Amino acid sequence: MSGGVDSSVAAALLVKEGYDCVGVTMKLFEDGAELPDRPCCSLDSTSDARRVAQLLGIPHYVLNMVDHFGRDVIADFVQEYAEGRTPIPCVRCNTFTKFSDLVAKADAIDAPFVATGHYARAEGGKLLRGTDDAKDQTYFLWGIDRAVVPRLMLPIGNLTKVETRQIARDLQLPRVADKAESQEICFVPNGDYVAILKRELPADAPALNPGPFMLGDGTIVGEHEGFARYTIGQRKALPGGYSEPMFVIAIRAADRAVIIGPREELLGRGLVARGVSWMADAPHLGDTLGVRVRHRAPIAPATVIRIDANEIEIALDEPVSAIAPGQSAVFYSGDVVLGGGFIATSRRAALPVLA
Amino acid sequence: MPEPIYLDHAATTPVRREVLDAMLPYFEARFGNPSSAHRWGREARTALDEARERVAACLGASSDEVCFTSGGTEADNLAILGGWRILKAKGRTTVVTTPIEHKAVLESVHKAAAEGATERFLSLDGNGTVIMDDARAKLTDDVALASVMWVNNEVGTIQPIAELAALAKSRGVFFHTDAVQAFGKIDVNAKTIPFDFASISGHKIGAPKGIGAMYLRRGAPLEPLFFGGAQDRGRRPGTENVASAIGLAKACELAVAEREAHCTAYRALRDRLEHGILAKVPDAIVNAGGGDRAPHILNITVPGADAEAMLMALDLMGIACSGGSACQSGSTGNSHVLAALNPGGNKGASVRMSVGSLNNDAGIDRAIDVFAKLAMKARGIVAA
Repeated sequence: MSGGVDSSVAAALLVKEGYDCVGVTMKLFEDGAELPDRPCCSLDSTSDARRVAQLLGIPHYVLNMVDHFGRDVIADFVQEYAEGRTPIPCVRCNTFTKFSDLVAKADAIDAPFVATGHYARAEGGKLLRGTDDAKDQTYFLWGIDRAVVPRLMLPIGNLTKVETRQIARDLQLPRVADKAESQEICFVPNGDYVAILKRELPADAPALNPGPFMLGDGTIVGEHEGFARYTIGQRKALPGGYSEPMFVIAIRAADRAVIIGPREELLGRGLVARGVSWMADAPHLGDTLGVRVRHRAPIAPATVIRIDANEIEIALDEPVSAIAPGQSAVFYSGDVVLGGGFIATSRRAALPVLA
Repeated sequence: MPEPIYLDHAATTPVRREVLDAMLPYFEARFGNPSSAHRWGREARTALDEARERVAACLGASSDEVCFTSGGTEADNLAILGGWRILKAKGRTTVVTTPIEHKAVLESVHKAAAEGATERFLSLDGNGTVIMDDARAKLTDDVALASVMWVNNEVGTIQPIAELAALAKSRGVFFHTDAVQAFGKIDVNAKTIPFDFASISGHKIGAPKGIGAMYLRRGAPLEPLFFGGAQDRGRRPGTENVASAIGLAKACELAVAEREAHCTAYRALRDRLEHGILAKVPDAIVNAGGGDRAPHILNITVPGADAEAMLMALDLMGIACSGGSACQSGSTGNSHVLAALNPGGNKGASVRMSVGSLNNDAGIDRAIDVFAKLAMKARGIVAA
């Protein structure tokens, strides 16, 4: 329970259905907790969670997961930027913290289920997209261990955000109904992730020091203040003077280069994902499936052209823009989440036809 | 679920009926401001003066040596910072304390350090007791103030306050003791022990939260922390918390009168709990168990168990205790006290249980059963 509207309503719905619930709020980091008015991850939001739990008549605990979160999520976040990728900490948190460490705490109190306020559905041992397409959060949930999926309860997965807020108002849950959405990364309270990199990386880290802006053909067109400040698809803070809008199309950590190019150079026709994990039976070579490369991006049809225990390569039926290494590729069959992986590379050129 | 069992009396206690009854008139008919010149004011002022005199009597003090505060934390802050800010002008710039003090003391000492003081920490033995030879070496003529808690709130260690206060006095060092956990269990007496400052807290002894007192010996240096009025001789400006001060006086008198009976009863309950758990969990470790310990506190480590899971499970089974002190927003963190006692790291679940007026043998026996069961289970999970 973050103290936000989603997890509060999730708890309320389960209590209403007669489940014996225990509320927990995860304390994940030390910084920024004192900031007022943050929708989650602050002292105030923890107090809001406690108040909701008290109103619902269920116990509530704050679990200190700072050490593991720092190791599994924040350290990885820093390392990914240092290597020129755009990390996705929410996936790591769900995979390692929320649906692993927290499940161990649930085991300790003999809780058979773990419930959250995610917009996703858990049915028959499968994870499905949330009913509200605009809110669907399965993009962040693909790394959950398959054995944990049958223990998930996601009570608001078949609601829209508007319906969730209405339930919060109807139940008169204190303070939560009209809270702002939390869009930012929880441990980057003001959006300034570079400040965290500066704190965690040595001063001479390549990611934070000047390097060249290059065009796709290798022409140097300027200097940037560190490639960690850039992400694939970014338009801001790039050299000007081109007839068409320019975007970051690649980051090459080895020579600190930020490669820029016009919109069509952003298009990818395939990708390789590593660290894959399946919560349904893994697909086979030649299978068609849906893939999402960004939160809220449309699900794009694709074909599996290579797969092994750790890696998958897919060809996209139609090109997709801004496939960023470090982000997730999440695979779907209809509404069902099959699994996912971390994007290692995107393939810009047309891929060879299947043998 | 059977009736829950409260084993957290070191965190706080219920307000005693006698205390509440004594306070009630001062919320109602006798609501006056003690600084007012009219009859309502006089009535409140008289009651406040009497309360101060009664608290002083419980501490072996004169009434001018008692300053009411909002609680133990304010008393600790006032004594340490209020004392040090005067003394620093006199060439004594070091503040001495121990690593196992309450955060109210440690943070006050850190604040003094931020204002130019040198911090110096006394060495402790494995039970958390100050090593007197070390104290003799460290209480040198550059020390302004030393602060050593009488009874540790997490593990119950009793410090040799009589010896330390006498040593400090012989070295010209002003001596403060946080007696929040000691008062009511130990004779905190300014007549027999030469401490200069002492802190006590109401809610640990059946008075409400939000009231405490600082003892300061006549002649002890003090710069106030607050400004804006002549209340409490200007030492603690602000309209006095009259009803709570009266509650504190009543609670102090009861605590002193019942001290020996409480010690006997609580020690029996605590020992029953300790022996019962050790019989069922033989490898459990009683922290600071080898030293002189206050009768109401038991701090026990279950090797290989997860503290958070254990505390959560204990609460769900109706046993209320804590991991360390009730520090922040219901969360559990690593204890600086246990870290100081065991620098190698205390791997396992450390749980503080503190007995008091709400306990009886039957409840203790149930707590033993639940604790032992969960200790076994918690370890199963860590091992898996």
